[in-house]
Amino acid sequence: MIETVELVQQEVNRLYKSHYGKMVSSLLYFSQSIDLESAEDLVQDAFTSAITNWRENGIPDNPGGWIFKVCRNKALNKIKQGEKVRGFFENEDFDAVETKRSESPIDDQQLKLLFACAHPDFSPKVQVVITLKYVTNLKVEAIAKILAMTIDGVDKLLLRARQKIRDEKILFTEPDLHFLKYRIAIVHKIIYLIFNEGYKSSWGKEIIREELCEDALLMNKALLESGVGNKETAALQAMMLFNAARFKARFGTEGELLDLEEQDRSLWNKELIMYASKFLSQSQGGEISSYHYEAAIAYLHCSAKNFKSTDWASISKLYHQLLENNPNPFVEMNYAIALYYAGQKKKAIDILNLLQQKPFLHQYYLLNAALGKINLLEGNYTKARGYFQKTLNQTDSPAEKEYIQKLMDGME
Amino acid sequence: MEKFLLLIRENIQAQLGKADEAFEDGIQEMTKWVEELAESGNYISGEPLQPTGKYVSKDYVLSDGPFIEAKEAISGYLFIQAQNLNQAASIAQSCPEVINGNIFIEVRPIISLDND
Repeated sequence: MIETVELVQQEVNRLYKSHYGKMVSSLLYFSQSIDLESAEDLVQDAFTSAITNWRENGIPDNPGGWIFKVCRNKALNKIKQGEKVRGFFENEDFDAVETKRSESPIDDQQLKLLFACAHPDFSPKVQVVITLKYVTNLKVEAIAKILAMTIDGVDKLLLRARQKIRDEKILFTEPDLHFLKYRIAIVHKIIYLIFNEGYKSSWGKEIIREELCEDALLMNKALLESGVGNKETAALQAMMLFNAARFKARFGTEGELLDLEEQDRSLWNKELIMYASKFLSQSQGGEISSYHYEAAIAYLHCSAKNFKSTDWASISKLYHQLLENNPNPFVEMNYAIALYYAGQKKKAIDILNLLQQKPFLHQYYLLNAALGKINLLEGNYTKARGYFQKTLNQTDSPAEKEYIQKLMDGME
Repeated sequence: MEKFLLLIRENIQAQLGKADEAFEDGIQEMTKWVEELAESGNYISGEPLQPTGKYVSKDYVLSDGPFIEAKEAISGYLFIQAQNLNQAASIAQSCPEVINGNIFIEVRPIISLDND
């Protein structure tokens, strides 16, 4: 009995993860009088019914179809009698979806949803939140955790977004081809931001983080395979794969944060690096985007035998080029660090000191951490300690605090 | 992408009366937000403003200006780029200090002089 309960829960979770957004958008398409909030309630109800029913009667042969049917019946009860409804299952062949699942977990309908979420009126943060909600089908609690927001904050943001989604029929009209071209840059940015959220080291070794990176990679892969993707998509894929290859080596056996110098490079996933290289060459021949530069930087890190032999000179040049088109003080910091290791120490320290005087930047924990590390390497222990102390006050992440503490202890 | 000036407005008297810690927390939150904006490619630059200054008109120059007595005055600015005015407003709305009700943001499009 306990087994059945668990199996049912697993199946429901799996379906939620793969179908939630699609079911919501189908309901919106089904009837004009259903708004987004009631559509989400209906889908939620259908999942709850599934849990109760399947525990009694076992999981049906076509569990996705079962839930869809319940959704439709609930919707029919809700809307006025005689109201005109549109076809519900027209684009949904469940058996096909089920068999296709293993090859490409993201289908065309999800891709359409992704483009719908890339509405240019939403801020990037809202775009990320609704993509996580309706394309990768995460629950509000998970989104809050990932984006370091409160559940209430995510709810409020969704509430405001829902209003617009309803008013402008955002989730259930198909963006036409003209829009696809215009929106692909926004879609890239959403995928990039989602990957970065998953990759941030401040979170330590959490499974949910790795899954987020996988989701970003899957969405981007679907983009490439659908033919909508372009050279920039390939560059983004290469960049994400090079970084994903290093994912596991960033933490030690105790889950502690390891910097690039300390990482065991034999743990880097060579197959992923090779796979990434393919996308990097595929991305050549068009305009050079910021993803191209970032992919090239990640490639140089991945192809270095050890920290010392890293081609810091080329990396700093790439950062310089990246900054030319996208001036960004946070990237400038990475440029300075690369310059330092490339031997241009004075220039590096000058840039970091200048950044330190900029508004917002002097409060930025990574800048203080970088200044601390460089002062430590230069033997200025008192200065280093001051910067590390600032860093400790500015980050809440236990993994990062521990790492900084380790550097401070090393100076004793 | 179009450019926008976000004018940060707040009750400066209330701001001055705040405990240092609350003030620091506000800055930390703003820094995190600015980092997000840089990551998404929207941030260009920004600076806080002193609560005092001079107010100039045809007939007189007022030292200190009316700023410090004013119920609401500009305490800083952010220069950003965004897809359109709605997105710029949505970005401003995501500012944690706006969400907390501590500041207002006025979003003003910059008139673009080039023809592209």
